[in-house]
Parts: sequence; C-alpha cells; structure tokens
Amino acid sequence: MATQLAVDSHARYFRICLSGLPHQMTSLDAARMTFVQLCLVGLTALGKLDEVCSAEEKKQMIEWIYGQQVLGDGTELSAAYCGFRGGSLFGPHDLCDYVAANSANVAGTYSALCALLLLGDDLSRVDRPAIVEALRCLQQDSGCFAPHPGTTERDPRFIYCACAISAILGDWSGVDKDAAVKYIVSCCNPDGGMTQAPFQESHGGHLYCCVASLALMGRLDAIPDRQRTLQWALQRQNCGYQGRVNKPADSCYSFWVGAAVELLGGHDLVDAAAVSAFLVQCETRFGGIAKFPDEFPDPLHAALGVVGFAFCNPDGFPRMSPTLLLPESLVDRLDIKAARRSNNGE
Amino acid sequence: MVRIVDNDSDYDEGSSLPMSQQEEWSDVVPIPQDDGKNPVCPISYTDEYREMTDYFRAVMAAGEVSQRAFELSGRVIDANAAHYTAWVYRKKLILDLGLDISEELSWVSEISGRHIKNYQLWHHRGALLALLLDPKSLEHESQDQRVQNPAIRNELQFVGEVIDNDSKNFHAWSHRQLVVRSYGIWDQEMAYVETQINQDVRNNSAWNQRYFVLTANQSADEFVLSEEVADREIGYAVEKIKLAPNNESPWSYVIGLLARHAPAMLYERLLPKINELAADKDYAVAVTSTPFYWSALVDIYEKQAKALSVDERGGVEAFAEEACDSLAEKYDPIRAKYWEYRKQALRTAN
Repeated sequence: MATQLAVDSHARYFRICLSGLPHQMTSLDAARMTFVQLCLVGLTALGKLDEVCSAEEKKQMIEWIYGQQVLGDGTELSAAYCGFRGGSLFGPHDLCDYVAANSANVAGTYSALCALLLLGDDLSRVDRPAIVEALRCLQQDSGCFAPHPGTTERDPRFIYCACAISAILGDWSGVDKDAAVKYIVSCCNPDGGMTQAPFQESHGGHLYCCVASLALMGRLDAIPDRQRTLQWALQRQNCGYQGRVNKPADSCYSFWVGAAVELLGGHDLVDAAAVSAFLVQCETRFGGIAKFPDEFPDPLHAALGVVGFAFCNPDGFPRMSPTLLLPESLVDRLDIKAARRSNNGE
Repeated sequence: MVRIVDNDSDYDEGSSLPMSQQEEWSDVVPIPQDDGKNPVCPISYTDEYREMTDYFRAVMAAGEVSQRAFELSGRVIDANAAHYTAWVYRKKLILDLGLDISEELSWVSEISGRHIKNYQLWHHRGALLALLLDPKSLEHESQDQRVQNPAIRNELQFVGEVIDNDSKNFHAWSHRQLVVRSYGIWDQEMAYVETQINQDVRNNSAWNQRYFVLTANQSADEFVLSEEVADREIGYAVEKIKLAPNNESPWSYVIGLLARHAPAMLYERLLPKINELAADKDYAVAVTSTPFYWSALVDIYEKQAKALSVDERGGVEAFAEEACDSLAEKYDPIRAKYWEYRKQALRTAN
C-alpha cells in the first residue's frame, strides 16, 4: 500500500494556525502574509480548503489581506513602497511622515496575491499599476531585486517574487527579463547547483527561486548546463531531499528541490516512495510536518511538505503548480501559458 | 564572543517599568496595531512586545530622529529581527545622528547569537562595514597590511567565531566573501579554507569557498585555469578523497572546476589519477564502492566521447554506459531511474 499522509490532522493544524500563533512565533510577525499564504496552500494541496473555511471566513481573510495593501498616491517618492506589507505591525497607512515606516515588500505582495487567488478573490481591488511601478523601482542594475527600499538585500528570492507577481498580474512591464536572466545565470555554479549571489554555495532554496523564475519568464534554456543542474537537484535526495551537499534531509526541500526537479523535467526520475516515507517520518501526531523527524511542526514545513508529498503521489491530491504554489486549475486561468509553451520549445 | 542561543530566549533587557509609565516616553502617543476585525494568523504577543511596537509605530511614523528612537529600534529588532522597516529606520538614525559605526557593529555582534540565521542582520553588518572602512583607502596597502587593519581583523574574527560554532552557516560564508572581495585579502583566505577543510573534509561550504578564492571572483569567461593550477587542484581533491572516499564535496569540486574551465583536463589529467586510485590496493575497495566514483566516470567519459569523432566514440561510450549500469544496479539505487535515463541520453546523443 502506498504511504499515506494524515490529511485530516494536517487540515486541522493549518486551521489552528490561521486562527492564531503562539508568542514564540513573534519572529514571523513581519512575514505573517507568507504564513497566511502557506496555511492556505497547505489546505488547498490537501483538498480541504472549502471544507475547513466557510465562505464567510474566506471573505474575512480577503479583507485582512487587502488591509495590508499600500496604495500608490501617484508620487514618485512613494512608488517603490507600494504593494502588500508582510503584516499589520507596520503603518499606519496614513499619518506616516516617514514613508519607509509603512513599506510593502515583494514577498508580502507575492504572498498576498497567491492567498487572494486561493481564497477565490478576483484581484479587482489590487492596485496593479502601483505594484508594477514598485517592481520597476526595486530591480537593480545587476538584474537582481531588492525586497523593499532602503536595504542592501538582493537575491533570487525577490527575483522569484517579482516574476510570480508579474505572471499573476499578466503584466511584465515592471521586470527587465534579460537583466534578471543574466543575474540568475551568474548564480549558476560549476557543480550544477544555483545560489543567491555569484560564487556562493549551491542551495536548494535558491535553486528553486532561480529555476522557477526562469520558467515563469520562459527562459529555462538560459541554464548553462541543464543536465548538470538536473543531476545536482536529484543528488540532493538521500531519502528526503537535503538543501545543500552534505547536509541532512529537511522536509521543506521536498518542495524547493522537488519542484525544481519537476520544472527541469525530472518528475519520473525521483524515488517518490523514499521522499514520501521521509515526509511521513516528519509528520507529528497532532498534525503538521516538522523540518526533521521528531521535531515541532511549523506552517512552512507543513505546507511545503504537503505539496512535496503531492508531487510524489499525484493521484491522491489536487495537482499543484511547481511554478506558483497554486493549483494547476487556477494557473490555467492565468495568462502565463505563453511562458510554458516556450519552455517546452513549442 | 558569539553565543548561539535559542531564538525563544527572552529579550527583556530594557527597563522593567512599562513604557507608558516612563517619564521619557510621556510625550509620545502610542499607535496601536490595526489588525482589522478578523485578523488572520494573529500572534499572541507578549505585553512587552505589544507595547514596544505601539510606541515604535508612533516614533517611526513621525520619523523621529533621536537617541531614544535608536535605542527602541534595537529592542524591537532584538524581539523580532525580521522587522524589515525597523532595520531601515535604524540605519537612517545611525547616519542622521552620526553614531559610532564600530559601536553599532559591536551591538550587532552582541545580538547576533540570537538571530544568527537572519538575513537582515547580516546585511546590516555588511552595510556598516562599508561605512566604516572604504576599500579605496587601502588601495596602496599590501594584503598583509590590510589583514592587520583593525576593522578587517575584527570582521574576520567575528565571522570566524560564527563558523566555529556552525561551520556551514550560509550567511557567515557569504559575509566572508564580502569581506575578502571588498578588501582584496585573498591570500589569507586560501589558508583559512584549508584549515576548515582539514577540520571537516565534508564541509561543502569550505569547498565552495575554495573555488571562490581560486578564481578570485572572476567570471567563468575571465578565469583561465592553467595546467599547473589544475594539476594542483586535482592532487588536492584526490588526497581528500583518500581521507573519505564517500564524500561528495571533493568529487563535485574537481569535476565542476574542470568541466567549466578546462573540460579536456577531465579525461587527460583527472581520469588517470582516478584510475590510479581505483587500482591502489589501499583505496580500491573504498573508492570503487562509492556512487561518486562511478558518477565521475560517467561525467568524464561523456565529455571524452563528445570530443571524439563518431567512429571513435564507441569504446568510451561503452565505459560510460557500464558506469551508469553500476550506479543503477548497485551503488546508487535511489537514482536508478536517473542513471537509466542518462544512459539513454548517451545513446541518443549520437
């Protein structure tokens, strides 16, 4: 019999997290939007979202998400700060003499758009021109993106967010694709892996961000040695996937590396039973999936673990898109099919 | 000294009185969090965190430039180091108030044990270093002189301590690269890399740093791998493979290096060394029972076949196919389907 996931327990776990997190998770306060997204991703991948969240609750969640939107006021000064904040600890929306006090973040914007789509919203209240303009401000000469103004942080996580946002909005005018591709290529290491900046160590999370960005831009052909990259990704499997060479397996890489493998065309080459068995070891008795066996669960590892499990057991779960953490059925309705066609050389 | 402690540790190092009862804050009207009627994923904050963020919102929204705002930003960051706008504001305050950059670096060192995997903290550190010491000011100094510069010495010591505690800390290695590259201190770094690899031959972060130092940050097009350096690196990797044959790092280091910068050396120079190792009675069994040995053969023979004419290829390709079979059947069964696919790919390449 195939390995089973404790679907109902995990659905309960995500439901509880949406209702509240303990104070020990205060370090997530600036990234609450991402954790909202992850709980909804987990429920969607389990096929349980509609069962666990009523239409009324979904409406309330949509309101909270829109409450985090930083709208454009038409001035050049504030353009780069628009989009969605990572949570409600910033602000307030008006009354800010210091514009950076209430700054959106590309990760917040990406998570908010995905969460809204999962909740069935039509994005009609999204300030599209402001978001696209913010992306334009945040792309650097190197081609990489900053998450928000005023920081020196730049890495492929934010390229990925910018690409996902552009794909969801169907408007790429905020992204210089050639520059972004050039930066990603500079992050491709001789071992076949990819990383966050030239010469840094190959890393499964950054591999995902790089590969998924290329896929969204229709530029997977830019990878210098695709065969070697696929091999690097597959070699991360020792039972579950590790994130780096000579590190222990960690449940979240069943998504980061697992999804990269899918995008690189390696779906049939994975030992799916071994990944599934590892994820089941990381399950906890009352729901949730931990980073490692016998540890406490958290929403990130739980959601990514569920999606990683679904890649390996496609029959039992709604098909999730490896590029966007959304169900394929939803992605099909977005206008990003053009990119997919060009990746497949059609 | 960096102290690695649990992230949950208390952050209550400020005054024991609530801020609302402190004279210093009596002129500020706190701005409560607006979480709407139905918050999603609300966090059950401690009273202390709630209060400090209420005051912080008020001070930051007003853009107050003051010592107390600066100190409050530190408390907020220590309570929630991912508060991204707090870091932006703090940096502005440092510049506007003309605060001492070295002291700020010490503060970052002090709190870093609690937030050692936080991106913002490391970027703040990098930005401070650039403010403290302009690389241009060292243009005329030798590498030895630069390493003696107190700011650089302090930085290398700090990162060294983090790596001593967690030898694969991704941020720490990334920060080391920033320091080495910014100030051009390449010579000492190769010695550091060797020390790290000697301590743990499986530390892939150190192997990666070896490539960074070897190429001295030159892009794939700029860097030229001389035969002399290639031979030295092959020799180095082979010695480390002898210590622990079933270790992916040296295999992937040397194959990646040659495949990118001098593919012909894979079969001209590396292959004889690997064959020698596989024939050496002290190492033969240990080496030839690792997946990395066989996978190296696939990579090498595949490259060699491509360099030969179609008529000459057959023998070399047969070796590559045999290696794929060994991997699929015996030495790397978890990737059996991959090696089968790779074997097919070899055949269809003709």
